[in-house]
Amino acid sequence: MDTLTPLQWASLALFGPLVVALVLGVVWPLRKAGGPAAGLSLLGATVNLAAASVLFVGWLGGADTVRATLPWLIHGGPEGASMIELGLHLDGISVSMLWVVAIVAFCVQVFSLGYLSDEPKAGFGRYFTWQSLFLFSMNSLVLAPNLLQLFMGWELVGLCSYLLIGFWFKKPSAARAALKAFWVTKFADMGLLLGLIVLFVHTGGFEWTATTAAAGTVTLLFFLAVMGKSAQFPLHIWLPDAMEGPTPVSALLHAATMVAAGVFLVVRAQPLFAQAPLTGEVMTWVGAFTALFAASVAVVQTDIKKVLAYSTCSQLGYMIAALGSGAVLGGYFHLTTHAFFKALLFLAAGGLIHAVHSNELSHMGGLLKRLPVTGWTFIIGALALAGFPGFSGFFSKDLILEGLFDAGAYGPLAMLLIGAFLTAFYMGRVVFMALLGPPSEHAEHAHEAGGAMTLPLVLLATLALGLGFFAGPMARLYGLTYHFHLGAVGITATALGLAGIGTAWIMFGPKQGLQGLAAAFAPLGRVARSGAVDKGFALAYRQALLGLGAGVAWVDRYIVDGLINVMGYASLAFGDRLRAVQTGNVRDYVYAVVAGLLLLGAFGAIVQG
Amino acid sequence: MSLQGFLLLAAALFSLGLYGLLTRRNAVGILASVELMANAVNLNLVAFGRWHGVVDGQVFALFNTALTVAEAAIGLALVILLYRSRQDVLVDTATEMKG
Amino acid sequence: MFWHAHLLSLTVAAPFVAALVLLAAPDLKGAAAKTVALVGAAASFAGAIAVWASYDLSQGGLQLVEQYALVPAYGISLHLAVDGWGVALLLLTGVIITTGVLATWTLEVREREFLVLLLVLVSGVYGVFVSQDLFVFFLFYEIAVLPMYLLIGIWGSEGEVEAKGPFAFVWRRFKVGGREYAAMKLTLMLLAGSAAILVAIVAMFFAAGGTSFGFDTLQGAAYPRSMQLWAFVLLWFGFGSLGGVFPFHTWSPDGHAAAPTAVSMLHAGVLMKLGAFGVIRVGMMMLPDGAAYWVPYVGAVAVLNIVWGAMSALAQKDLKYIIAYSSVSHMGVVMLGAATLTQDGWNGAIYQMVAHGMMTGLFFALVGLVYHRAHSRWVPGMGGFAKRMPGVATFFVLAGLSSLGLPGLAGFVAEFLVFLGAWQSDHAWWAVPGIIGAFVTAVYVLRVGRDVFFGEGPAEGFEELSDAKGTEWAAIVALAACLVLLGVYPNLVLEFIHQATTEYLPLVLGSGATGVAVLP
Repeated sequence: MDTLTPLQWASLALFGPLVVALVLGVVWPLRKAGGPAAGLSLLGATVNLAAASVLFVGWLGGADTVRATLPWLIHGGPEGASMIELGLHLDGISVSMLWVVAIVAFCVQVFSLGYLSDEPKAGFGRYFTWQSLFLFSMNSLVLAPNLLQLFMGWELVGLCSYLLIGFWFKKPSAARAALKAFWVTKFADMGLLLGLIVLFVHTGGFEWTATTAAAGTVTLLFFLAVMGKSAQFPLHIWLPDAMEGPTPVSALLHAATMVAAGVFLVVRAQPLFAQAPLTGEVMTWVGAFTALFAASVAVVQTDIKKVLAYSTCSQLGYMIAALGSGAVLGGYFHLTTHAFFKALLFLAAGGLIHAVHSNELSHMGGLLKRLPVTGWTFIIGALALAGFPGFSGFFSKDLILEGLFDAGAYGPLAMLLIGAFLTAFYMGRVVFMALLGPPSEHAEHAHEAGGAMTLPLVLLATLALGLGFFAGPMARLYGLTYHFHLGAVGITATALGLAGIGTAWIMFGPKQGLQGLAAAFAPLGRVARSGAVDKGFALAYRQALLGLGAGVAWVDRYIVDGLINVMGYASLAFGDRLRAVQTGNVRDYVYAVVAGLLLLGAFGAIVQG
Repeated sequence: MSLQGFLLLAAALFSLGLYGLLTRRNAVGILASVELMANAVNLNLVAFGRWHGVVDGQVFALFNTALTVAEAAIGLALVILLYRSRQDVLVDTATEMKG
Repeated sequence: MFWHAHLLSLTVAAPFVAALVLLAAPDLKGAAAKTVALVGAAASFAGAIAVWASYDLSQGGLQLVEQYALVPAYGISLHLAVDGWGVALLLLTGVIITTGVLATWTLEVREREFLVLLLVLVSGVYGVFVSQDLFVFFLFYEIAVLPMYLLIGIWGSEGEVEAKGPFAFVWRRFKVGGREYAAMKLTLMLLAGSAAILVAIVAMFFAAGGTSFGFDTLQGAAYPRSMQLWAFVLLWFGFGSLGGVFPFHTWSPDGHAAAPTAVSMLHAGVLMKLGAFGVIRVGMMMLPDGAAYWVPYVGAVAVLNIVWGAMSALAQKDLKYIIAYSSVSHMGVVMLGAATLTQDGWNGAIYQMVAHGMMTGLFFALVGLVYHRAHSRWVPGMGGFAKRMPGVATFFVLAGLSSLGLPGLAGFVAEFLVFLGAWQSDHAWWAVPGIIGAFVTAVYVLRVGRDVFFGEGPAEGFEELSDAKGTEWAAIVALAACLVLLGVYPNLVLEFIHQATTEYLPLVLGSGATGVAVLP
């Protein structure tokens, strides 16, 4: 195995899934066969995981950056032609992300084998084709040697998100959610495209290491795209709707990897972002606000996937806030830990949903006894998310909060601390409502699914539990150092987290206490569920965009084209008048000829004379 | 003979033809008038040719005669068709072609 | 080396010869007639590929030159030669006519006459792209434009537009939206443009000395600035009316909606490019002072085109109108690239011609296919078609993705280059509405995809729909493959485009404008 160079491994990781996707895309009988397609896709994911692991181990051992590029597109400028390049870039940041994606993707694909086994064969094959395409797209984003390729991967994962959310395209709500996700992210992506163009014109390349006076503009434009992709307020609206997709898709794309692409972009382009303090300021506040806002909305959701979706928004807000305030390690490490525990939570939630055939929390209850593996792994994920000491989320969240404290961003820090309480609270609520307590009638006949659905959970739970202790090696991958240190901020956050779990126990545990408090917050719940932001966007879409479109189309049809029609009409009308000259009487024509002759003669005489 | 005489004769013929063209209601009369005018032109052509001492005038006159014949043939054919469809050859009443 | 020496004339003549064969054999009907047409089209496509293969990039300039005197007294000659742009545009034309004939296999009304006109038209298109003599260029241009009248008037489909607005009284005289209306409007507007072009051409001929219509003479001639200013406007209007330049684009939605499938494919896919190509090749390159003066306006109008077309498409309910308006929007990208007067912008403009040609060809092939089966173009009445025609749905989304500029498909490369060029030009802000236009494209294209193909259904009356078959598959897959190929490996044709741009752009920018730079 040592015969392969890192570049070859990386190529294998990148193109393995692509080959699978192409084969499945072109050879339709194979795709429509279902099972074989899934097998092939899983083979691609396995190859990808193996290659990623080899690379990861290599870079843990401190390998140097490897970079290889190929010319792709001619760019001609006043100073002559050059080539815009695509290729591979392997360093600690890309390799660790590659590994995270590979693990989660592998787990999700295995889980999907069980979760989607009831699908028709053609749909099953289609699902795995898109999974492979996603894996390729995400890898091309992660391994990008410059920001242009990152953008291309970025758009491609957006496409995969569209396809996978709309997997059940016969369901109107799924078709709508897919469109919404694509439109919102595409809207935001205008910022990335424009930012890239500005960057290119200023620096002559798409390098994230560039130094430029335009860094402020560029990074602000980038951040617009980050807000779309990583679901930051107010562009988070697509993420809850994206839960229309199959749950494994939510786990992979809309929790662990694709939505984290925005954070990854910030980490990747850190040299650029570091030159733009204003952008950092904006990011810190937007991130912190999203973290708090989404956490409070998550508290009142009744759909387990919606809780997790808002939780994802909220956690991404933590990362953005951290990166904005310069706590790079915290942001990136939280990206890694979050990927595992949130994927775990989604998959476990998928297991619960699969068992009771409903997303509603009220239809669950007491499921821990019936689905012990799924239940316990869910609890592990929940504790990690809540920042329970010892779990991976505890370490990464602590890093973020300490980072904000060090940066002196006390306002955002306060928001994040409240968010930490709410996070623990809503996760506690989900655990107590879905897993403990009396079983609902839906939950009566629930039972544990097969190994395909439980083994990925165990693997992810291990990582969610243990990854926190590897913060040191991970930090070295990013070229940073890590020392564990629990300061006042960390202790406060931990205390708040425990308080959150405790409050949830009081309210949703067996005692059902503090109902007055719940009633007091009911109006907040109504507001949150009413989706004011959503309505604002819907209004902007229907009234502003479609209204403007209707207006433009009307003007085009009845004024611009109308004027052209009027020209035609005027010619015809003029002809009507002129027609009277043609009397049909031969003698009139002769008179005209003679008159013309006389006129000509007179004219000649005058000119001559 | 002087050129003047020919020109005067031609002018007279042409005027007669024009008068006929403008006043005749009968299509055959109009055709005959046109013939008169054409022959006035022919006369002019021959006269000028003679006066200049070149044959161009005669060539054109011959050419013109051929044209006139063709025109008369077409004209008479039209008159016959007109008669067949209307039982008369009065041009004033044949105004179906008006726009 | 007969083949090589006459490669261009053979390519241009191939469809014409097929048309003559069809004319000479009135007994050819149905599949036999279509096969003859396909052979002619494929032969010209093969010729285009041979041109691509034999063009020597390291040498550049004009290659495969053929010159035959036509009217020596006025210096008119059949001067054919290909440059890098020509290579790319010949390939586009070849792909579109071949797939167009394949997509029209289901036509059963007077197919022989239809194919004759179509093939003659395509010969004209090829001729425009390789002519190096302005007179012949214009001649080919007219050959390409005129058959449209009959093609739409006879084989078109009927539509109707409600009488509304301040000019509703015109409905008393003609049925707006009908196929005869569409054919007449298209022809008249394009002929008005041609008249303007003719005036400019004659003026240029005399201002350049009145000795030759050759490009090499007219290009770089010392035209008076005042003359350049008005002549450029005439050319901009004249060619622009075919290129869909606002506000002379209104023939396009009606025309494309009424036209039969293959005609829409050719018209939006190739013919509109003739217009934009004319603005660049004749207007900008031959009248650099005029171009320099008017370019800010050309660019502003192009930006308006992009946004206007996209916003109009947003409000359409008729499937063909949506695609037609998207053509108006995308041709704006071409004109924007041209107006930037930058290397990237021009590369992008020509690349967008190719990319949009194939994309819109695919769109019209698919839309025609849906119309042929559903007998309706009314989007609100459709839905859930993907269940019956999954292949068509897939490729429709693919074409849509290319039109909204998804990386990996041809549209992205073109739009990216154009926006890059725009930001380098003197008017950086042009890029912003351009990018917004791309976003609006995402909204309307994917929405119509959802409305037609996804959701529950198909609705009543559409149960009998079937997926594409046989030759239709061939056309769709070939076009889609081209989109992917050009998106993944753009240098395949971009190198050729870049070569020509490198030679031509300095002529406009004034540095090294000697007038002989492009002589072989």
